[in-house]
Amino acid sequence: MQKIKKSERFVWIDIMLTLLAIEVMQYFYYGIRVVVLSGVCAFVSFVAEIVSLNLVNRDFTADDLTCISDALIISLMLPAVIDFRIVAIACVFAVIVVKNIFGGRDNMIFSPSAAAYIFMLVSWKNQVLMFTEPHVRTGISEKAENLVSSASHVFNTSGRMNYSDFEILMGNMRGAGGAVSILLLIVSAVILILRRDISFGAFLGTIFGTAFLAYCIPVCRSKYDSVKYMLVSNMILFAAVYIISDKRIAPRKNYYAFFYGFFIAMFSYILLLKTEKENIIIIVSVFFTPVSLAFRNFEKNIEFSETEGV
Amino acid sequence: MNRKNSVFDGLLNDNTVLSSFMVISPIIICGDTLRNAVALIYAFSAITFLSVMFGSFVPQKLPYALKIIIYAVISSLVYIPVRLAAEQFFPDIIPRIGIYFMLLAVNSLITVQTEAKFYRMKRGRMILSLIFYIVGFDTVMLITASVRELLAYGTVYDRIVDADILISGLGKPFGGFIFLGLFCGVYRKIRFMANHLKGAN
Repeated sequence: MQKIKKSERFVWIDIMLTLLAIEVMQYFYYGIRVVVLSGVCAFVSFVAEIVSLNLVNRDFTADDLTCISDALIISLMLPAVIDFRIVAIACVFAVIVVKNIFGGRDNMIFSPSAAAYIFMLVSWKNQVLMFTEPHVRTGISEKAENLVSSASHVFNTSGRMNYSDFEILMGNMRGAGGAVSILLLIVSAVILILRRDISFGAFLGTIFGTAFLAYCIPVCRSKYDSVKYMLVSNMILFAAVYIISDKRIAPRKNYYAFFYGFFIAMFSYILLLKTEKENIIIIVSVFFTPVSLAFRNFEKNIEFSETEGV
Repeated sequence: MNRKNSVFDGLLNDNTVLSSFMVISPIIICGDTLRNAVALIYAFSAITFLSVMFGSFVPQKLPYALKIIIYAVISSLVYIPVRLAAEQFFPDIIPRIGIYFMLLAVNSLITVQTEAKFYRMKRGRMILSLIFYIVGFDTVMLITASVRELLAYGTVYDRIVDADILISGLGKPFGGFIFLGLFCGVYRKIRFMANHLKGAN
């Protein structure tokens, strides 16, 4: 048991390190406001976690620090110029409503960050989906001007991506800070998979599902471009690493996790084609958590029947 | 005083919505503004009170299944004049409430609590208890609607207030569900603490 707890803490440290690396990259593009935004998220989540645990008469332990990684994930899905009060409300929502009301970190039903993102999308759509151009630095108390739609929105509506491969890799395109840092996300994915911090099956299922459908039902003239742009837009890669492959939610065995990821990719791709809504994979991932729970129950039943058989 | 038999139970200790989680769909779906809330309060109060009162004259010797059908028929008949009057009082609101107005005619206070609770009491006590159950629902509806309207639309009874930040998600059904869930949690915590204090005393 102690070993499991220890490994959980190492998972958290690894995830935090990769998230902090993306934060540094975002600081390079958007300035100090990104850092303050993440700080606000982390602080509010931390306080909300302590208060909500206190209300249910539980002690705050090192394992509860996962609220900070969830907070950083939330901040990386948002534009740097978003109102701090909105993210504060979203973080409180993620910790109290999504996480602790359902039993806390041992009984996770939804990804707190994904659910908080949907909450923000429903309540403050314009603020969540409007961004500044990269390298436009906004002061902490300044109000941003000349906001534009993300590269994903342009791609969904026109089928075009007006960025070079190098710009895409470096994250030098319009969109949510964390979601567009493609090179860093790839490196993070490799590190987290090799260190077994995320579910490899779910990650592979999501990427394979998206690529497969983008190849079979291309959104551009070229199938190669369709696959390439689909993987780097609409937070696909970010969601595949930090939300769908979250070991707290994804099925434990890679075989089932693969299909879990594959189904999410398939449905989000179909919905994307139908609705042209950006980042729809986050919404689908939340709606697919019952599938993950079903897979987990299925795994338990198989394990139980195997031990009974022995 | 036996707390379980108190006529005030419906207001606080055994609130229809917060304690039993009954009749929640109108609150979640339509309880996003005070105007809707007032219309629903009128409908719920009138239909429930009149239906339970008329239903109390149904002979208790009849089979249970038959009595439930008769209660439903009575409440459906009560629904007709209540609906006609509502169209006069709240002409803009009724279409917005839609099917939830009709569903109030078969709410669980009429179909379940009548047999389980009200018709086991003497008539005078039953009337008092019923009024407090109805007031309990009305209070929750008013509180929920006013908070949701203020936070989601920045208005109070359609009057704009100086709200700096709006959470429009609270105006949606999922927001109502979350708010009501939190409200229930707070209510239960307070009730637990109050009972704990009483026990200590």
